[in-house]
Amino acid sequence: MRHFVIVSILTAAMTYVIYVGLTSLGLMPVHASTQATSIDWLWDWQMRAMSFLFALIVAPMSYALVVFHRRKGETGEGQHFEGNYNLEIAWTVLPLFAVFAFAYMGAYSLGEVRRLDPNAMVIRVHAVQWNWTFEYPDYGFSSDVLHLPINRQIRLLMESTDVIHSFWVPEFRVKQDLVPGRVTELLITPDRLGAYRVRCAELCGISHSYMEDDVLVEETADFEEWALEQQAIAIEASKTPEGRGRILAATYCLGCHSITSTQLSGVAAPVWLGLFGKTETLQDGSSVVVDEAYLIESILNPLARIVHGFTPNMPQTFANTLSADQINDIIAFIKTLK
Amino acid sequence: MGGALFVTLMRWLLPIALPTVFSPMPLFDTQFFFREPAWLFGGLMGVLCFVWYHGVMDDWYQWARGIDTPEHHEDKPGIEKYFGPSLDHKVIGIQYTVTALALLVIGGTFALIFRTELAASRLQFLTLEFRLFEQNGLQLYNSLMSLHGMIMIVSILLGVAAMMNYLVPLLIGAHDMAFPRLNAFSFWVAPPAAILLVSALILGGFDTGWTGYPPLSAKAPLGIDMFFLGVFTAGWSSILGSLNLIATTLRMRAKGMTAFRMPIFVWASIATSLIALTATQLIGLSFQLVAFQRVLHMGFFDPDKGGNPVLFQHLFWFYSHPAVYVFILPGLGIVSELLPVFARKPLFGYKWIAMSSLAIALVGFVVWAHHMFTSGMNEYLRVPFMYSTLLVAIPTGVKFFSWVATIWGGKIDTPTPMLFVLGAIVVFLLGGITGPPNATVSVDLHLHDTYYVVGHFHDTLFGGFVFPFFAALYFWFPKATGKRMNETLGKIHFWLMTPAFLTLSFGMMRIGLLGMRRRIADYDPALGFDNMHLVLTISGFLIALSILIFFYNLVISIKRGEPATGNLWNSRSPEWQVVSPMPAHNYDVPFEVVGEPYDYGLAGSKYIEFITPKKK
Amino acid sequence: MHHTQDKSSALGQGVIIFVFLGALTLLEYFIAVAVNNTPLLIVVAIVKAALVLYYYMHIGSLNDDDHGAGHESYAYKTGTDRLGLWLFLLSDAFVFLGLGVARFNLLGLTRPELAQLFGLFVTNVLLISSFSMNRAETLMAHGDTKGFMNWSLITMILGLGFFVGVVVIEWHTIPAIAEPVLILFGEHAGFVPLTASGTAMGAIFFMMTGMHAFHVLTGLALLQVVRSKAGKGYYSAEKHWGVEAATIYWHFVDVVWIFFYPALYLIGKLV
Ligand code: HEA
Ligand code: HEA
Ligand code: HEC
Ligand code: CUA
Ligand SMILES: [Cu+2]
Repeated sequence: MRHFVIVSILTAAMTYVIYVGLTSLGLMPVHASTQATSIDWLWDWQMRAMSFLFALIVAPMSYALVVFHRRKGETGEGQHFEGNYNLEIAWTVLPLFAVFAFAYMGAYSLGEVRRLDPNAMVIRVHAVQWNWTFEYPDYGFSSDVLHLPINRQIRLLMESTDVIHSFWVPEFRVKQDLVPGRVTELLITPDRLGAYRVRCAELCGISHSYMEDDVLVEETADFEEWALEQQAIAIEASKTPEGRGRILAATYCLGCHSITSTQLSGVAAPVWLGLFGKTETLQDGSSVVVDEAYLIESILNPLARIVHGFTPNMPQTFANTLSADQINDIIAFIKTLK
Repeated sequence: MGGALFVTLMRWLLPIALPTVFSPMPLFDTQFFFREPAWLFGGLMGVLCFVWYHGVMDDWYQWARGIDTPEHHEDKPGIEKYFGPSLDHKVIGIQYTVTALALLVIGGTFALIFRTELAASRLQFLTLEFRLFEQNGLQLYNSLMSLHGMIMIVSILLGVAAMMNYLVPLLIGAHDMAFPRLNAFSFWVAPPAAILLVSALILGGFDTGWTGYPPLSAKAPLGIDMFFLGVFTAGWSSILGSLNLIATTLRMRAKGMTAFRMPIFVWASIATSLIALTATQLIGLSFQLVAFQRVLHMGFFDPDKGGNPVLFQHLFWFYSHPAVYVFILPGLGIVSELLPVFARKPLFGYKWIAMSSLAIALVGFVVWAHHMFTSGMNEYLRVPFMYSTLLVAIPTGVKFFSWVATIWGGKIDTPTPMLFVLGAIVVFLLGGITGPPNATVSVDLHLHDTYYVVGHFHDTLFGGFVFPFFAALYFWFPKATGKRMNETLGKIHFWLMTPAFLTLSFGMMRIGLLGMRRRIADYDPALGFDNMHLVLTISGFLIALSILIFFYNLVISIKRGEPATGNLWNSRSPEWQVVSPMPAHNYDVPFEVVGEPYDYGLAGSKYIEFITPKKK
Repeated sequence: MHHTQDKSSALGQGVIIFVFLGALTLLEYFIAVAVNNTPLLIVVAIVKAALVLYYYMHIGSLNDDDHGAGHESYAYKTGTDRLGLWLFLLSDAFVFLGLGVARFNLLGLTRPELAQLFGLFVTNVLLISSFSMNRAETLMAHGDTKGFMNWSLITMILGLGFFVGVVVIEWHTIPAIAEPVLILFGEHAGFVPLTASGTAMGAIFFMMTGMHAFHVLTGLALLQVVRSKAGKGYYSAEKHWGVEAATIYWHFVDVVWIFFYPALYLIGKLV
């Protein structure tokens, strides 16, 4: 009997120490959305349960190891008991309750995370290897930085054109894959100002590590100002081929290609500055003057001619995703980069 | 012997090599539409030719011609029998063990390489300029990481087969497995499968992770075909091995060994085999469909053709979730088997533990979609899968509680095998309790594809397989060789590996919660994970060091270990009642089961009695 | 085998079961044409499969009590082999199960456009081959090697016929042969056949029929091996496990088709 009392105290103490110790470390990143609230609430209960269960097994086990350890020179066998029906029932049925409780809490918290606000603002998210674009249909422009107004629910409608990606901002907690061929949805209500980053959470090829973009949560007024400004720029740009080309390039190409003189970190793709008209050395040693035909070929069939010093990593899907007009616009844009 | 090995290797390589030699195209471009099928077909033929030339199928060929051959060849004495197609389950068990350990080293070495890159943010080692096998650093990271995952998993499958093959016939008193030739075949497809897996690295690699999700895998370099083929053939090994095991246990038990008098490990093996027998087909099918999509342009997972990428995930996880229970059930069986021996007490709640293995296996079939909570599958499926997933906690809990009750009040002794058993309990407990947070959907939306999950599964895999496997090796090494392993080195191995591993897994979970994604070669320095990653890398190397010590111990013990021919651990199990090393055809005198297997501490009780010839 | 039965009643049972199966197949076809009720079609398929499993594949013989015989006896060994074979079939069934799941996931309640009567025709060819195989086995079980050789030859011819029907004709592999035959079976001229690389529908159709055809081929190979051994007088009424194994496997291939036929031809609407 004395053993059991000691073990109970040990278990309780151990649970407490583990729980308090771990939670005081700050296990989660700051929380910046209302969805995070219910997730963190459930996580906290999970922490309690984990601390308790760990202690529940390890405390009696360690105690037994010390108390019932064979002393030096001791012989003989342990006590002979083969089981105890009541105990066995108990440790089958009690965890059953715990399981149902957690499943219920999980379902409840999922409901909170998925509750749609009718006033939500729709933003369309397009992912391609390895680039995010955010389209604001209410304003009619796209951006590669995600600006969000605080305290308003955002309904992200997300599409991918090549492989599976996954939208994740750790501070918002929630995560959702983008699957080619369907539109997936994610609800986020930012409730903390600040700069975060969206990080692609599904392996999507070589540069998956670098598929990140800025996310800014702003006061509503700041957001409005920015959005209207972008709207004006977009209207202006859509009047010229270069302008349209720049928007398209931002969506599809500038995740890898740089338009300044320095290469982007992480992805090795040729720099576009001064590309048009320059003489490019190819992998097989021959060289080519970059003209329109070559550019079109490079976009539609990137494997046809590989630039010296680069791996053939460019997506081969643009023939499906881009129309001839769009390609001409992009080329017009490339021509402006002198 | 080296010559023989070379010849067999060449025989295997030639069918693959020929299409390449005759193909006019450069080796590593991605437009290999008429070469890729050649590689796939060549690889498959390579496996078959290897097995054929190795003589594994000779008996079957003779059977087809109407010539009967004996089911038991006499093996050559000495080490040579381990290189040929022996039909003896003990030899095959050891062949499996060695292959599994070799793969553990290969997969572990891959981990050490990519961990080195992860030690600090930005790329230092696997850089963009770095080139190996036509891959730059980033691509190589992906290939190594993906292969690390799958090679480790295949290593586990072989390790599990090793334990079941070596132990089950001994534990049930059979002279061999039910189908010795099939057994040899199951083993001999594994080495070519392993070679295929590793060849993926050389043939352009692939960047999909071990899960190989399309559409990414449908676009990956040629390496992915070798990966698919390797897993596919390793699957045969698993399927046929488990078929054999079930038939063996159902048909070849010793007299008097009723269901609830079987050693507990046998129950675990049955549960494992039920999963491996059936579910394995689905991973084979899912990979086959992607391979066909690649070479024949069939649009199963191609949305442009009306295919569905999420379908792949369902097919894949229908195997790959239950598979995790394939990895652990035998390991937990080892824990249940050894605890009574070292606690000198009966196994607490034997029947409950036996049934819990079956329950885990059966419930394990209906939880697969918990890997897909964020995948965009039908939303209403998430909640039922959460419930079913959490249910697995109950039979697993039964095991833990029974283990604690087993050692309570014992006379516990802690030599090396017992240390590993205790380590297994603690580490697997950590892995187990970090499972339910993944299973509750909303929390998983945060945890999915982070290092938290990576931490979770290294805990379960180490606790459920690696630790028990080492326990089994230390425990049955004397049975197989008649020598003891060195205790001191064994203890050093344990006390080095355990803390290093705990650091590794805790560290993984910690950064995972804070936002460290899986499967990235480079992470944002702004996250501030550099220090922790350095610690993780060091822990990884310490684990490797401890395993190196284990290998050293293994080698010196085989050469000049202390002889141990008797019942070293004072166990009640039948295999310890006869001399070590085990005689060629197991029990010269058959035995009969007359009592309970784990009645330690009950004076005068007996588990088995040898049937004296005159009684027969 | 069931030596309790005399030869003629054993053969008679095979006929009765065959009549049932044939009737159910026709029923199935008319259900599809008249009401297209999916649950009903599934029920019919399950009944058919159960009949084959029980009467043609003797699933009950797994329970045969051979414990009296020693572990080394032929009877005990055959029992073990039988268990092994059934476990293998269980495992193999999961491949087809997976394909079935894929079919319903990708196509839902739609189906490809195929020549209905031709489908019914090949299905019946396979069904008759099951009947002839049952007859061959029953004869072997009564020691009639010659009868076995004849009926298993018929089985192989029918099996080959099925294989050609699917792989050459239904797949339009050789249009010059396929088109006239299919038009004979009521397909309209100018019909655009499915292709494997076209749509997911074509892909899954080719995958399911292809995987099944592969099993038909292995079944034929197995039969050929057993026949060549039987020709050398290798089997007897008491010892003919090889024959039993080939038979069970052959019926298994039929059982798979019992489900694939409605899944591809009958269930769902045309798109
Ligand atoms: C050996 C392998 C193994 C084992 C045993 C487990 C066991 C479990 N796993 Fe794990 N898991 C993996 C290997 C394993 N897992 C791998 C490899 C992955 C990643 C795959 C990939 O994406 O690459 C993964 C991923 C994974 C996910 C997906 C995460 C994600 O990607 O988002 C989930 C989600 O539910 C999950 C849950 C569980 C649960 C609930 C258990 C349960 O079985 C655990 C049960 C045990 C306990 C709970 C502890 C003991 C019980 C008690 C003391 C009783 C009382 C308990 C309660 C009342 C809760 N696992
Ligand atoms: C049994 C399974 C198993 C084991 C044992 C390990 C062991 C280790 N694993 Fe791994 N791991 C997986 C299964 C396993 N892993 C899986 C399934 C994945 C998922 C892959 C994916 O996402 O697709 C994964 C992923 C994974 C990641 C995530 C990668 C990413 O997402 O980018 C990391 C990162 O740190 C990691 C690290 C390690 C380390 C440091 C070890 C260490 O323990 C390794 C220790 C070293 C050894 C075991 C080698 C020992 C010996 C020697 C080196 C010398 C001996 C030489 C001679 C005798 C000649 N593993
Ligand atoms: C994933 C990275 C990636 C993306 C996205 C990408 N490219 Fe590229 N691109 C590359 C790489 C790598 C090369 C060099 C290898 C080669 O020549 O194929 C390249 C080469 C090129 C070249 C030839 C450059 C030269 O120096 O000759 C052109 C032109 C080009 N890309 C245009 C585009 C356009 C237009 C888009 C968007 C519509 C795009 N790329 C998107 C990676 C990318
Ligand atoms: Cu996109 Cu990872
Ligand atoms: Cu799982």
